[in-house]
Parts: sequence; C-alpha cells; structure tokens
Amino acid sequence: MATATKPDEKARERGAQTHPDVTSLGEVNVDILKMLSRPGKGWWILFGLSVAGIGLLFFSWGNQLINGIGLTGLNTPVGWGVYIATFVFWVGIAHSGTLISAVLYLFRARWRQSIYRAAEAMTVFAVMTAGLFPLIHLGRAWHAYWLFPYPNERLLWPNFRSPLVWDVFAVSTYFTVSSLFFLLGLLPDIAAARDQAKPGTLRHKLYQVTSFGWRGTDRQWHHFGKAYLYLAALATPLVLSVHSVVSWDFAMSIVPGWHATIFAPYFVAGAIFSGVAMVITLMVPIRKIFGLEKYLTTKHFDALAKLCLVTGLVVFYAYLVEFFMAWYSGEDPERRVFWNRVFGHYWWATWIMLICNGFIPILLWFKRVRYSIAALFVISIFINIGMWFERFVIVVTSLSHEFMPFAWNTYRPSVTEMGIVVGSFAWFSFWFLLFIRLLPPVAIAEIKEVLPPPMRPKPKKEAAR
Amino acid sequence: MSDGIKRRDFLKVLGVSGAGAGLVGCSTDKVERLIPYVTPPEEITPGVATWYSTACAECPAGCGVWVKTREGRAVKLEGNADHPVSQGALCARGHSALQGVYDPDRLDQPMRRNGDAFEPVSWDEAESLLADGLRAAGNDVLLVSGRTGPSLTRLQEDLMEAVGGSRVEYEALSEAPLREAARMAFGTDAVPTFDFEAAGIVFSFGADFLESWLSPVEHARGFARMSGTDTEGEKGRFVFVGPRLSLTGQNADEWIPVHGGSEGLVALAMAHVIVRDEGGDPGPYAELLETYDPQSVAQEIDVSAEILEQLARQFLSEGPGLAVGPGVAGQSGNATAINLAVLILNAVAGSVGQTVHPGRSHLTAASAGQGSLFGAIESMSQGGVQALILHGTNPQYTLPPAAGFADAVGAVGFTVAISDRIDETAELADLVLPAQHPLESWGDSNPRPGLWTIQQPAMRPVPHFDSRSSGDILLALARNLDHDLGAETFYDYLRARWDELHQEAGSPGESFSAFWRQTLRDGLVEVSAPEPAAPALQTPDRALTFEPAPLDGEGLALLVYPSSRFGDGRGANRPWLQELPDPVSKIGWHSWIEIHPETATERGLRKGEIVRVTSPHGELEVPVWTYPGIRRDTVALAMGGGHTRFGRYADDQGVNPMTLLPATIEQPSGSLVHLATRVEIDPTGRGRQLSTIEGSDQQFNRPIAPAVALEALRAGEEFQDPEPDRLHELQAVGGFVPVPTDGEPGAFPLEGARHGEYDPEAHARWAMAIDLDKCTGCSACVTACQSENNIPWVGEEQMAMGRSLEWMRLERYYEEVDADQPGPVDIRFLPMLCQHCGNAPCEPVCPVYAAYHTHDGLNAQIYNRCVGTRYCANNCPYKVRVFNWFRFSEVPEPLNWQYNPDVTVRSEGVMEKCSFCVQRIRQRENQATLEGRSVQEGEVVPACQQSCPAEAIVFGNIRDPNSRVAQVSRDQRTYRVLDVLINTQPAVNYLRKVTFHPVEDIHV
Repeated sequence: MATATKPDEKARERGAQTHPDVTSLGEVNVDILKMLSRPGKGWWILFGLSVAGIGLLFFSWGNQLINGIGLTGLNTPVGWGVYIATFVFWVGIAHSGTLISAVLYLFRARWRQSIYRAAEAMTVFAVMTAGLFPLIHLGRAWHAYWLFPYPNERLLWPNFRSPLVWDVFAVSTYFTVSSLFFLLGLLPDIAAARDQAKPGTLRHKLYQVTSFGWRGTDRQWHHFGKAYLYLAALATPLVLSVHSVVSWDFAMSIVPGWHATIFAPYFVAGAIFSGVAMVITLMVPIRKIFGLEKYLTTKHFDALAKLCLVTGLVVFYAYLVEFFMAWYSGEDPERRVFWNRVFGHYWWATWIMLICNGFIPILLWFKRVRYSIAALFVISIFINIGMWFERFVIVVTSLSHEFMPFAWNTYRPSVTEMGIVVGSFAWFSFWFLLFIRLLPPVAIAEIKEVLPPPMRPKPKKEAAR
Repeated sequence: MSDGIKRRDFLKVLGVSGAGAGLVGCSTDKVERLIPYVTPPEEITPGVATWYSTACAECPAGCGVWVKTREGRAVKLEGNADHPVSQGALCARGHSALQGVYDPDRLDQPMRRNGDAFEPVSWDEAESLLADGLRAAGNDVLLVSGRTGPSLTRLQEDLMEAVGGSRVEYEALSEAPLREAARMAFGTDAVPTFDFEAAGIVFSFGADFLESWLSPVEHARGFARMSGTDTEGEKGRFVFVGPRLSLTGQNADEWIPVHGGSEGLVALAMAHVIVRDEGGDPGPYAELLETYDPQSVAQEIDVSAEILEQLARQFLSEGPGLAVGPGVAGQSGNATAINLAVLILNAVAGSVGQTVHPGRSHLTAASAGQGSLFGAIESMSQGGVQALILHGTNPQYTLPPAAGFADAVGAVGFTVAISDRIDETAELADLVLPAQHPLESWGDSNPRPGLWTIQQPAMRPVPHFDSRSSGDILLALARNLDHDLGAETFYDYLRARWDELHQEAGSPGESFSAFWRQTLRDGLVEVSAPEPAAPALQTPDRALTFEPAPLDGEGLALLVYPSSRFGDGRGANRPWLQELPDPVSKIGWHSWIEIHPETATERGLRKGEIVRVTSPHGELEVPVWTYPGIRRDTVALAMGGGHTRFGRYADDQGVNPMTLLPATIEQPSGSLVHLATRVEIDPTGRGRQLSTIEGSDQQFNRPIAPAVALEALRAGEEFQDPEPDRLHELQAVGGFVPVPTDGEPGAFPLEGARHGEYDPEAHARWAMAIDLDKCTGCSACVTACQSENNIPWVGEEQMAMGRSLEWMRLERYYEEVDADQPGPVDIRFLPMLCQHCGNAPCEPVCPVYAAYHTHDGLNAQIYNRCVGTRYCANNCPYKVRVFNWFRFSEVPEPLNWQYNPDVTVRSEGVMEKCSFCVQRIRQRENQATLEGRSVQEGEVVPACQQSCPAEAIVFGNIRDPNSRVAQVSRDQRTYRVLDVLINTQPAVNYLRKVTFHPVEDIHV
C-alpha cells in the first residue's frame, strides 16, 4: 500500500521474496489488467450458470412469497433451518476479507497484497448474499422494514433487547464499512484500468466515473493513505463484532445447544476459518486460469493455510468444549442435545462437520500439504462443506431436541429451501464473476509497493506510481 | 373546461359507481339473508352473543348444551351447566357439532337416482316421488333409523303404524349386551346408569367410559371426582381389566391385562371371593360362582389367584365399588355373559343402588342389537320389503360387508334416504332427501326417567343447503299418503308431545306457553321421580357361557374399538376431529394399527411401517404404531376411518376395520361381535411418516410431569430441592447478585423479572392451575380451544410435518406400563399450553415487540405486528407457539361461518399461541366497567376450563388470595413445568399426579 512512508530496504527484500518472478512494475499492470479483457468461453458458461441459479433463487423465493413460508420444511420445534444456517455461513465467509485487508494491513503483514482485493470482493458479495436470508426466512417478508428504527406516527420502535435487531445493525454496518473499504482501495487500480481502456468505450466511461478522477497526485495519495488507514482501523473491530452478534442470535436464547458463553469467539474463529478456506477455493482457480502464479505464490497459500490451521484448531477446541460443558452441566436437556448430535437423527451432519472441520485440517500441519496448491484446494472445499454443516448442526439439531421431549421433531429441507440455498451460491458467483472481469482482482498498486525499485522501462504506464 | 367533465359531475359519477361497485362486491346469491340487519330483529344485537339451550345429538349420552350465536350464526358450543348429564362440560365430539352443521359436503338439495348418478330434483317433486314410492309398496315398508329423540321416534312409529310398515332401529355402537344382561340380572329391560362419583373404587372390564361408553362427559366428571386426590388426601383406585389400555385404561392405577373375552372370568372370580370371604349375597348365582374360584380361573387366564383375591378384597374394602364393562370394544362372542358377570360382581359387593342404578335407566343409550337389522336384511333380500326409508343411519359403512346390506337394498323396489349427505348408505338409495342438522331443527331427548331435554334450533338453517327437518319430511309424507298424524309441522307435533309432559310435570297453574318458554330457556325439564328400590338378583332365564368365545382365523387377536373422536365414523368429515390427536396414539387423520413393541420387534416391524392386515373376512393396509399398552397377542384398530363416500375430509382417510369382521351376532343380545377374529400382519415394505404430535414418550427425568405416591403425600413429605443453594451459589460467582427464583405462585413474576408496565399491586395476574391427578387426557379442551379461538386445521400432510396449529397439546408420557403381567400403570397426561411466563423467554427475542407482556400478566401476541422471524417459538422452552405456515384460515364455505367474531382470524406468516382466552377476559372486564364494579372471581372462564369434563382446570386472578386458582395453587402438589431449570416463572401451576405405587421423585 502506498503511504507517505518511504519503502525501505527490508520491505523491498520482502517484496522480492514474495514475488520473485515479477521483474518490472509495468509487468504488473499488464498481467493484472489483461484479466479485464474479453472473457472466454469458460467465463460465459459459468456466468450463464450463475444467471440460471439466480433465476432459481428468485423463482423459489417468489413462489414462497406467494404461497407461504410453509414451502420450507420447517415445523414447530424447528423454526429455523437451512436459511439461517446459510445466512450464518455467508456472514462467516464475509469475515476473512476484512480480516485480510484491514487487520493484516494494520499488522503490516505484507503477504496480504496479492490476495486482499479478491478477499474483499468476496466479503462484500458474501454479505450481500447473507443479507438475503433474513428476508427470505421471514414469515411476512414484506414487513421486514419493521426491524429498522424508522420514525413513524405511532412511535413504534424495534425491540432493542432482541438479538435480531442487533443483527440488523451489525450486518448492515459491516456491509457499509466493508463496501467502502473495498471501493476506496480500488481507486488507484480503477484509474489504471481507465488509463488502459480505449477512450469512448462504455468500459472507459465506467472507470472514469468510478475512479472519481484519480490522477495519482501526491495530494491524492496522501489523503488516500490516511483514509485507508482510518477505515482499516474502523473495520477491524467489525471483524470481531459482526460474528459475535450473529452468534448471540443463538447464545442469547435459552435453547440447549445454543445457550453458551463460548459462542462469540467460537463463531468468530469459525468465520475466519471458513472465510480463509473460501479465499483459497476462489484464488486457486483464478491463479490457474489467469496465470497469476507470479503474484499468488505458494508462500501466499502457505500463509493462508496457516491462518486456516490456527482458526480451525480454535473451532475444533470449541466443539470439544461444547461437548464437555454439556456433560459438565449435569442437565439432561443439555446433555441429550449433544448426545443426539453425535448419535441421533442428524449424526451424519455432525460427523461431516467434525471430520471436515476437525480432522481434515490437521493435514495443514504438514508443510508439504501447505505448499501443494491442489491439496489446499481440496482441503478448502472440505472446510467449506464442513462449515456449512456446522451451522446446520447448530441450528437444526438444537431446535429439534429441546426441553419438552413430547414436542421433539425432525426437519428435512424442502426443494424450495435447497433451491434458494443453491441460488445463493449462484448469486454470489454472479457478482464475483462480474468482479473479476470488471475490476482489477489483484491490487496493482499495492503489489508494486512491495516490489524492488522500479526499472521504469515504460514511464507512461506508471500512472499509478 | 366547458365541454369537459365538471368536477361536480365527476364526483357524482365517482360516488355512484363506487357505491355500485360496493354493492356488487358485497352481493351474494342470498342477498335476502343480509336484509334483517337493516332493521335488526329483536333480541339480536350485533356484537353481542345470544345463547340457546339445546341438546347434543352427537352420541347417545344425551348432554345438554348451550349454543353461542353471533348475528344469527352458531359459533360455539358449551355444556349446559344446569343439565345433570353434562354439568357444563362438553367433549370434543360435542364441540365438533358446529362443523357438522357447517359441513361443506352436506347435501344442498334433494337428489334422485338416474342410472348410476344422482340428479337434483325440487322438493315438491321429491315429496311426490316419495309418496308414490310408498303408495306402490303397500304394507311392505321398512324404516331403518338411527337413535332418535322420543318425539321423532314416536312420529316414525306413528307413520309406520299408519302405512302398515315396520321400524327398525340401528346403531353401530350398541349396548344391547348390557341391556340384556341387566334384564337377566335385575329384570329391568334397560341400560342402567352408573355413578362414578359415589364410588370409592372402580373396575372397568374393558369399558371405555371416559371416551365412548354410554355417557363419557358425565362419567369423566364423576370419575375425576372419585379418582382425583382431594384436600384430605383421599383418592379412589381404578383398575382396568382388558387386553388393551384405551384412554380410559391409561387412567388406571392398575392394569390386569387379560385377553379379550375373559374379562368376565375375573369378575366372577372376584365375586366368588366376596361371596366366600365377605358374605356377599350371590342370590340365584351361588352355584355359578362356586365354580369360578380364583384357582380355577387363574389357570385359564394369566392372572394369579392371589391377585384375584386381593382385587376382590380391595373392591369391597375401598368401596363402594363400581364395576363396568365390557363396552363395544370388548364385544366378544360372550358379551352378554361378561356384562352379566360384571353386574353380578356389583350385586354381590352391594353396589347396586349405590353406584349401579338399574332402575335409573340410561334411556338414550343405543341398546337395540344389530340383530334386528340383520333380520330386516334377510327380509329385504327375500323381497319382503318394497319401500325402504333410511333415516340418519349408515349401515353400509358400519356393518361388515358380509352382512350383505348393499345387496339387500338392491332387492328393494324403492329406497329413500333421509340424510344430511350422500354417504355410503344414501348412495344406495333411489331418492335422497337432505335433512337438517340437529342445531337447525327441533327435537328432544330423554336421557333418564324424569329428565327431558329440548333440542331447539339455534340458528336458521344454513342457507347453503336447502334442507328440511326429518320430522317435517315424514309429516309431509304422511299428508301426501292421506294419513293424519295430528300435526302440520314437526314443531307442532313436538309441542303436542310436550303439552303432555306439561300436564304431567308442569307446576300447577302454569300455562303451557309459560312452561314452554321456561323449557326453552333452561333447555330441560326435570321431574323428580323416586328411584325404585335396588332390585335383587334374579334367576337367569337362560344359561350363558362365560369362557371366551373362540376367534376365527390365525395370528393376533383383532380388537375393533369405537374411536373416541369419530364414534362409529359419523364424525369423520369434521376436520377438528380428524386433526385432534387421538388421545391414545396422538395420531391425527389417518388410521394406525396398535401393536405391542415386542411383537413388532419379533416381526421386524417399525413404527410407521405399512402392514397388510388379513383376516378370513377381508384385508387392509395400515401403518404400525407400537404401543406398550396392548397385549402381545392382540392388535387393535379404531373405527371411523376409511369412508368411501362421506365428504372431502373423510374419504379415503384411514381404514375401516369393520371390513375385517365377520357378520356374527352375539346371542342372546343380538349385537354384532367386535372381538371375533384373528389377523395376520405382513409387512408391505413401505412406510410413512405418522401424522402425530408425539416426539418422545419419555420425560427423561426432567421437571415436566412428576408424580407423588399417595403414601408420601399423606405422610406430608415435603418436596425438597436436593441442592437448595445450588443456584444461588452459582449466581454469586463472579460478583453477580443472586436474584430470587422461587416463591409463592401469587408472587410471580418475582423481583428481577418484572419487565414493562407490570404493576403487581394494581393489576390482576391471570393464572391457571391444572390438576394432573384429575386430567383424563380426553382432549376436549383441545377442540374447545380450537372452536373458541378460530384455530384452523392444517391437514394430514402438514400435521405429519409437525405443523399442527392447536394451542393446547396433550402430552402423554409413559412411566410404567407392562402388558405381560398385572401391575401398576403410570401414564401421565400434561395439557401443555402457553405458560404465560412471568419471565418469558419469547418476549425479549422478538425484534418488533409482537410478543409482549400485558399489565395483567398475560403473555400477549400481536398478530398484525408479527413479521414471522419465529425466534419466539425457538426460544419457547414449552414449544407452545405455533406458526401459520400457509393461509390455513381460508376454509371452504360455510365452515368459515363458525369463526368466532371476537377473535382475530390469523393470516399467513404470523406466530400464534394460547391467549388465556383474552377476548373473554376483556369482555368481562368491559362489562364490569360498564356496571361499575371489578371482575368477580369465577367470572372469566377460558374455553378449556369451561369444557373440561374432569374439572382439572381452574383459572382466575392469582393475586386474589381467595380466588380458587390461588387456593388450588397453594396445594402441596403444586409445581411449575421446567421452572426450576430455567426460571421462567410460569402462570400455569400444575398439581402432581398421585399414584398408589411408589414413584421416583423428579425434582421440580
């Protein structure tokens, strides 16, 4: 990141170590901006699939709005199902972006430069996806605005004691700040893309508008650096707060299996865990398809894998603590919920969760695994699956086995629910696919910052510097 | 502007067209029905309910009911509190009469057969067709009628006398064996009445007296008073003898699981011991009893002689004893003999006159055996009947196919059915005449000697159906045949009959019109008739076999019992009853076969697996429900399912077990044998999700439904928290200040849980007390609540998913059930409804304040504020919040006429739950305010309490120390469900069940 500080020798060395194959600054522009050229067949196929998936999403949702929320498989003890599980999943995914871009920025972890842009985009789109679910799951979605404290003649306010209201604020704040942070960081790179685009084209006009007249003057860089720093500082606590608040949706209730003080750190760790795994899942194909091996080196993936390992261990520890506390509480409802998780009706979901999140990430202890892109990709997919099931297990198994045994019941997601869950992935990939074709998916300016001093072979192209 | 439309003109056009649109929009084909409200009729104030007294015609018990009408529509039924039979209570079937009158599948006009189909005809045409048919038949006329009130019965008899035909009464659930046994034992040719309240110990030899036998509401009240523990710690014992625990059996303290048909042996052995050891007078039966000593009986059944002796001594020492049975479910090939054995037991124990009243007959009970119809079928087949009138009866559905009813009807020249619908029987007729529902028509009932109930129409006939009262149809027929039966309309005919009663029973000097008006107001006339002296046992006029009759076929014995919801099946088209979880199995809508879990395991069957049930007479497919309360060698099927033509809610719903039975008649009573065959059970390899509300039948030692042994209760053992300071110690950790979590019921919510505008000093706190020692699990409260609070039904598929909307859930937990040997039974019922917690978990989690606490302690739900997050339901530990997953409240016309105008009809996507009948609370409060006083104790009665036959529910202001709810809640047995675990501070106080055997204490 460009700041007023002079790049020192050490940083240059680190940069050289991070991207040993990048020889010039100009090369960065060329390599990154070529990703914005005409998309190939593969992109169009994926894009088409995403649009179809969005069609499925809105068809299912529309059908549900017209006919009633009863199209889900939910019932009386299990009032929340895959909608809430998927909501938490996407909020969790949204975590690593801000962690990588803001927290690592403040900690001056230079390896973030190559990854953070895509991670941030993922964050914004994941929040956009997550934000759909509270609406989708409402019995009367058309009254969703009642959750906001808007002025009205009857002086009706939302109930500030309700964790759901906290959720509204937490998620909307997070969305606002992470979008701002994302868009702000993009400014110099959009300007670079603008300078390369053919004047008069739509694309050029788009970049002209969205680069807000960035010319790379000292003054602009100065303000930019300050703004970025402050936003990073503002975004950092949100990394912890959002998922803590989401976890309180559960922990503040009295449902056995939800009501636990460990939930906030447990959820934050889980969120980072899943988010980083999703970054790996997304970055591996991008790296391969666009030939970004120079920029996304195995060292980057090694760092991501280590982050995964640490958070994964925290998550696994939280699982064990939950089981221990259930036993230690001595209360039958609590004990039976956890017994039922592992050996009851949903045993398979719990074992998927334990294996994918608890056991498979143990492989990351091995350096050879961390340096194998293919292995990481496979592990990251397992973690994604495991983390979705973790939320499913928390939401569904707890509700299905509460205090009154006579009211126990099970739940099976319906076609409508699965359509919407699948559609949410399409919605996410729709935005992400647009992103990699419209905006520089790797931070040009910041990579340059960690490169060795420029050779300046083409001064004209050095607009960003 | 000059050539455009002027503003004034525009407004005029707008106004006129708007009004026109409004008129068009509101008009219906039956506009004239709306007119009375332009000039309101007298006695009807819009918004104020009018109540009518009438008689319940759902079963032969003969309860009196009050019908609440609003703007001319019946909306709710309640028991007539002045009526000696119902005493204010009403069962689920009684409540469902409303869905009978508003049944969308009622016949809307007369229909005539045209080939295989029916075509509509006008009433005039139908009446002339009917008259022609009868004229052509000459004397060969047969009238088959269901049980009717005395006036209608007499009209039918008059008519048959006039045309020279005959009348046969047919009811599927007949107590003919009991009547026959009473005739043999006491010389009274009538069904006796039984006084449960006066008993100290009750033995049921298979009689389901709490659900379907004779007079369930009356019995439940008496039984609960007998078996409920009173403040002195007195409790009556109840022993159930029979192969299967019905709901009645589930209420027993002990179960003697003998196989079906051998119940009489137990009774005789007990009588033997009483005669031998205690000096009971066997009268002419001394010789008979001599042969049934406990040792020899014990060899025939799986009960030891010691137990039989002990039971006999208990029957006498804990008396007055009452033995009843066996009822329709146990109507085996020797039903009369078993009934006789039970009556002998009563007689030798000296109970006749005390708890058994042969002289005070149960006159409404259906006691004509099916044998007379079998005779008629034979005569029909032989061409002896030219015209057949079927009235209010459905033999085609309720008889085993082997009886050959359909073929016999085919041999009759002209068949007319007077029925409210084209059902399986009316389908065979040449002419079907739509009859009015009892709530729309005149009638009467005579349940006891000296007790007369008037059945007056509570509303004008539902305009969707062009129906006539069956009395009027018969009178018109008589007129067309030139017979004078002395009246133009059935109303006149009835009044003439009541005029006779007036001569007999009216107070001197009272005019008939005054008598009539008073009768209509009270709903009944009671003439004090001195009860004849208790008859002594008479010499039997024939010999009976007491040994069980052999069963057909191979495999497991099949028990076919009357459904407590549908009776013989006539209630099957009522979604309330379909959706009401069966009190035993907790399954709604479809049928199930009850199999002992061990038997199921042996045969590799699981719950929900569909099996083929084959008897020598038929076969059917039905899912398995495993039940520890049935003998291993017996399976059971409920009557009432498997209609083929009855209505949209009944057709193809479940199975009809009568198709498995042979057409065997028991002698001498002439009743159909229900316990007649064995069946083979074969898996089909298919399964289904049972449409049940039952999750687990175990309470896992949680503070849900504890019990206390009578011994411990009498000894005054306190229910102590084993670790009283545990919570406080925990709370004090980390600098927290402990808050109180326990206190007097009236003190809730405690300090620390008083949220919002709650002022414990200024306001009432509405609270409830439920005595689990009285609750019989009959589920009348569930349907009462559904009727009062506009709770829609959701249908089989939705119920199977767990989306039942009922606000009350009757939980049932097994503690002790052993089908292999005699021993204690401990099955606990727990009516679960919103607990209106002082510290409600649902309230803080609602993001929009749809769940909130009122100043008077109600946990309110604001439907139109609810956005449907369902968080409140997730956080409700009692799981009493139910969600409107679809627009369930949109029901077919005219079922929606039943909706209570005082209660919101909920839309899709909102949460709902028990409101403690807040509409009744507010109505009483408003009335009290208008009258310048405060609400009195006992004034507010929620629908569940009102309906409860067992008087288990008490409601009121618990802040008032003199209120009944406060007094009852101070009982030693009081506890609150889950409160000790999660400090919810509920407003519903439960009183523990009391058992005779020692029980493990659950700390609550």
